[in-house]
Amino acid sequence: MHVLKFSRKSLGIPYALFLILFVALPLLVLFYYAFTNGQGQFTTKNFTGFFTDPNTLGTLCYSFAIALVTTIVCLLIAYPTAYILAVSKLRQKHVLILLLIMPMWINFSLRITALKEILTLIEGNLAYYPFLNAVVGMTYDFLPFMILPIYNTISRLDGSLIEAAKDLGANDTSAFLKVTLPLSVPGIVSGISMVFLPAMTNYVVLDMLYNSTYIMGSLIGSYFSAYNWHGGSMIALILLAIIIAFTILTRGMEESDNRGVGGALL
Amino acid sequence: MNKLFLTDHSASAGSKKTTGTVPRLFSAFSASLVRKTAAALSLIFAVSSIAAAPFAAAMNVQAAAHSEDQVVLRICNWEEYIDLGDWDEEETIDLESGDIIGENSLIEDFEEWYSETYGLNVKVEYSTFGTNEDLYNMLTLGDVYDLVCPSEYMFMKLMSEDMLMPLSDDFFDEADENNYYVNGVSPYIRNIFDTHEINGELWSKYAAGYMWGITGIVYNPDALTHEDASTWKILNDPAYKRQITIKDNVRDSYFAALGALKADLLTSEEFRSDENYAQRLEEEMNDVSPEAIAMVQDYLQDVKNNAYSFETDSGKVDMITGKVLANYQWSGDAVYTMDQAEEDDYYLNFAVPEESTNIYFDGWVMLKSGISQDPRKQHAAEAFINFCSRPDNVIRNMYYIGYTSVIAGGEDERIFEYVDWCYGAEEDEEDTVEYPLGYFFVNDSEDEDYILTVPEEQLQRQLGAQYPSADAISRSCIMVYFDAEKNDLINQMWINVRCFNIHDVPVWTWILTVIVIAGLVWLFVQARQRQKLYR
Repeated sequence: MHVLKFSRKSLGIPYALFLILFVALPLLVLFYYAFTNGQGQFTTKNFTGFFTDPNTLGTLCYSFAIALVTTIVCLLIAYPTAYILAVSKLRQKHVLILLLIMPMWINFSLRITALKEILTLIEGNLAYYPFLNAVVGMTYDFLPFMILPIYNTISRLDGSLIEAAKDLGANDTSAFLKVTLPLSVPGIVSGISMVFLPAMTNYVVLDMLYNSTYIMGSLIGSYFSAYNWHGGSMIALILLAIIIAFTILTRGMEESDNRGVGGALL
Repeated sequence: MNKLFLTDHSASAGSKKTTGTVPRLFSAFSASLVRKTAAALSLIFAVSSIAAAPFAAAMNVQAAAHSEDQVVLRICNWEEYIDLGDWDEEETIDLESGDIIGENSLIEDFEEWYSETYGLNVKVEYSTFGTNEDLYNMLTLGDVYDLVCPSEYMFMKLMSEDMLMPLSDDFFDEADENNYYVNGVSPYIRNIFDTHEINGELWSKYAAGYMWGITGIVYNPDALTHEDASTWKILNDPAYKRQITIKDNVRDSYFAALGALKADLLTSEEFRSDENYAQRLEEEMNDVSPEAIAMVQDYLQDVKNNAYSFETDSGKVDMITGKVLANYQWSGDAVYTMDQAEEDDYYLNFAVPEESTNIYFDGWVMLKSGISQDPRKQHAAEAFINFCSRPDNVIRNMYYIGYTSVIAGGEDERIFEYVDWCYGAEEDEEDTVEYPLGYFFVNDSEDEDYILTVPEEQLQRQLGAQYPSADAISRSCIMVYFDAEKNDLINQMWINVRCFNIHDVPVWTWILTVIVIAGLVWLFVQARQRQKLYR
């Protein structure tokens, strides 16, 4: 018994080491830089600077707008797809799901380069539609992350609930609206958090699709290449705070479905 | 004779100051594969050495003895900025004075040459960086190198921060025939390194040149005339809306903006004929007064709304595939772009703006933190510079990466012969012109030994980019390193250009946002109340 206990503890050591090295230490360094100036003295100037600089606030708004539109578009495409997949009686369903995941096995920059050529065929000159390009690129990139959690939730719904609703006189539409949709909210929330947050910082898509306006990720990069590690760290820290706040807000909804949603298929 | 001297080697090469794209990802992939293989091998080695402990002990003694007469040289250079060898047979450069071919990487060749010449083993640990700023950040984070190759403004910064080790007197000893750098560097380049200074110290005290070039515009001659492309003003010309790319870094953009804003002054007869023209040009093109910065910001905001994109790497491909008509480019990358397009029978040209062009240098400098008073290390580092400056190696590098070496060859004629091999006209060719390159090879444009006869079209093609005309050089100027305070102002200007300003959010957006949020809150409250009812 004693030996078993000891070995269980020691099994956790690699993960603990990983946590310390790659999570705790970098966070400490981030905090240090965010609250010091070039001379290593404590300062809150980086913090106040973030909220008084029209550029950082504007960039936050712009990133927010791109992420919001991307999330809405993803949701509009993903929900019907996931619903049809989940309720269909197809034998080879897993092949369809595989087709959805497969693009993610192809190198990211290769995919965006291909997308660039397709968009050029459709739009002509890409540079005229920077916002649209960013949204299309991000949607293309993040769509599977929205579909899979929703699919998981819907496919695990208890079918008898819908039958009960119909027995009690609901037609298809109201059974969907009053039973299926509310019960799939945890999947939607999980999908949103997996799309919205990365979309705020994934500047590579914007760079590759000729959007010359900075989003949060590129702004941090520009601070670092101007040797201003302090300002850059503060932006990263504030983004982190936003993400944590968002997670706490949505957690309540996710917990109501404890069967576990998310990228189980990934 | 293979005049289109770009083949599969250069396809993966030839980009300065770049961040990775597809081909580079592949090379990164193969590099990681190599590393993994090495790791696996060392694991096997470790296991087998435990099994053979008695032998291992003997080997350790040997290894220790070995390391004592071996110098480790840590070099950090631009990505894809040195010949890595492995050429095909048919790529041999068949000069009259002998064939030149890259069999092994220049780094291996150096290790061999060094032990043969100086009887001491040197082990080169070679790594690369993507931008000058990356290199600086790596150094501040504590990476240690002996020899690095930043651009001129970055080695000026390193000089001003006292991080560099001066080159030794032996390095400048012209009597030593192994001193290929001092015996072969172009007198034109040498003069620049001997006259420019920061904090009262000359560049040449610390830095030895490697590659150099100018900035200009690559353009499609079917859509633009040479005159159209020969000005920085093209960047915000509405006639080419969304048809031109510009460099995604503040210094290059700043230079182009100043050139466009001061075009009237810079091209005026009076300014051109001023006896202090060169000096005044340098002052004007390094103008970082608050007024100039404000003007540049407005101009670049226009450019942002007019250009196709700000790019670091994609511009070359977009130019070759015809997505854009013109492209702000460094001369080495311009050569690469034109060569690649030519393989598809698509001919592009290069123009040097009339106002002024930015001449830039990448130079070898030794770091104090790495060399740390070790004379053997310093000797190896200086020998590496010299080895890279040996004419046959210079030609290998130029062929491989497409940039122009600072080495002219001195007594050795092979580099001029190579330029002739690349660009010289065939004997029966018509429409040829004379192209004097004396300014570069002997500091005398009139020198008849250094006049090429080239097809006229080459003036606007690769030759004009790789070895700019004396005329283009006469209006070139250096962009110096700005002090921290000025640098902050310029970087802030750049962020102002690139960011979305919150004051630009239209009023209707604010109203809409408020309505949407209010709606969401209302829905939330409703849902809560319904829940209470059920309970």
